[in-house]
Amino acid sequence: MLKVEKIEVRYSGVPVIHDVSFHVNGGELVSIVGANGSGKTTLLKTVAGTLHPAKGSIEFEDEDISTSSTVNIVRKGITYVPEERRIFGPLSVEENLKLGAYIVDDREEIEKNLDYVYSLFPILKARQKQLGETLSGGEQQMLATGRGLMSSPKLLMLDEPSLGLMPKLVDEMLEAVATLKEEGKTILLVEQKVREALEMADRGYVLQTGRTIYKGTGEELLETDIVKKAFLGL
Amino acid sequence: MQIRTLKDALSFGDLPAVERIGFILFITFCFIFPWIIKGGFAQAVMIQFLIFCLYGLGWNLIGGYGGQVALGQAKNVGMSAYTVALLMVRWNIPFWVCTPLGVIVATIESFVLGYFLFRLRGHYFAIATIAVSLVWQQLFINWNFIGGARGIELPLRETPNFIYMQFDSPVYYHYFAFVLVMIAILYMNWFRKSRLGYQLRAITANEDVAESLGINAHWVKVKAYCITGIFAGMGGAFYTVYYSYIDPFSVMHLELSIMIALMTMIGGAGSMWGPIIGAMILIPLDRYLGAWLGGRGILGVDFMIYALMVMIISAYEPRGIWGIIEKARRKR
Repeated sequence: MLKVEKIEVRYSGVPVIHDVSFHVNGGELVSIVGANGSGKTTLLKTVAGTLHPAKGSIEFEDEDISTSSTVNIVRKGITYVPEERRIFGPLSVEENLKLGAYIVDDREEIEKNLDYVYSLFPILKARQKQLGETLSGGEQQMLATGRGLMSSPKLLMLDEPSLGLMPKLVDEMLEAVATLKEEGKTILLVEQKVREALEMADRGYVLQTGRTIYKGTGEELLETDIVKKAFLGL
Repeated sequence: MQIRTLKDALSFGDLPAVERIGFILFITFCFIFPWIIKGGFAQAVMIQFLIFCLYGLGWNLIGGYGGQVALGQAKNVGMSAYTVALLMVRWNIPFWVCTPLGVIVATIESFVLGYFLFRLRGHYFAIATIAVSLVWQQLFINWNFIGGARGIELPLRETPNFIYMQFDSPVYYHYFAFVLVMIAILYMNWFRKSRLGYQLRAITANEDVAESLGINAHWVKVKAYCITGIFAGMGGAFYTVYYSYIDPFSVMHLELSIMIALMTMIGGAGSMWGPIIGAMILIPLDRYLGAWLGGRGILGVDFMIYALMVMIISAYEPRGIWGIIEKARRKR
């Protein structure tokens, strides 16, 4: 579905992603793990069209999107849920969600998606009239994720959904991601909770200083020395 | 679809009762004003208040909901005012034909300018709009074809004339301006619930995230800027026939742009009633204080009082008077 081929991404001319390739097949949950500054977020931003690769190609459903604008990429069916839960603070929960369905023209589909998000995160339904900025961190993350689902994306990219949440909420959040996977959604997940991210992933990539150093199925990666030593402290 | 739009525009049901009562009082006040107050100066101030309401409501779109500090409303006012005046003076074309043309000119200017300037963000955008305003201002002052610094005077007609909008009593102008403001309010009432309204608020809250949802921020801002231009254009056309005289200092000046923006900010940018509250306080203050102090030879004190108010309000509540009202309401 998504095929990233040997891309190089630069910030003001300085390359930060070197020669990275990965792909996501339909219905898969693919995790990208790595330490701080290894280029995970940059990678997602490049796929989302905020940044553009200097070399290499990005294909989505056999169509080159490496030079497309964010707006067009969203229309093609890729939704990016940014890290640190960037929601619209001055708008209510429901308004936030409805804006997520911005590219959907069908009222029924919007209602359907809204019900779906509320069933996935019941707390949002209870808070639907509240302003986004008054929600707790965990609720904001749920809202950001729910907003990403509102446009019925073909590929959902989640950037560290567990960042800055308390342990109980981390579990809840990751469970929600697992539920989404079971329902057949295609997800590209970036996480620092390496064990959890790899356990539930179909496949994973380990990134270090802008290079893919390992790839394989989730279990395979959990067995490698580097993952054990560097991330799991075994 | 059309019925829904109309319903959205006419329904104020989602507002608290206090606001609805306030709105009704406002309408009633504007409606009976010419009957109870006969003083010429008071009526002139009232009409100016209505014109500034119109400007402010329009500016609120891009400056309030859209969060873009555009300091170039005077350009649009001036473009439209000059188009109307020129067509009326040189070719004797009726007001009702000139006005749409004037508004179109103002909108086109907004579109072209917005298209290029919205590549810039934040302060840089504000600076660019100021720069463009200054260029237009100088151009109009030195352009002889349109009267240069002397301005344009509309010929006086012998009898009151509806086609050229020339009346012997300010009451007609009052009601015309009032109708324009009402249309603007209904439009804003629709706007705040509309797709465009939400798009703009999303962009104000976080432009990058808005883009990640597929909102074309650049295009949305250009659209909003054009609508702001339409409001200003309507105001400019009305201004021309009301005063029968325009010059670059009254309709093209940067001071006017700043006045419109400040007024809206003091009232409360990004809220439905903010621009009206701002105009209600600042316009009478400005005119009466200016006339009173100016008449005693004390020049400039009105500006000091003005500036003091701006400072107090921006230090105490950046969301303006409406922000203070909302705060008080929440505490209860």
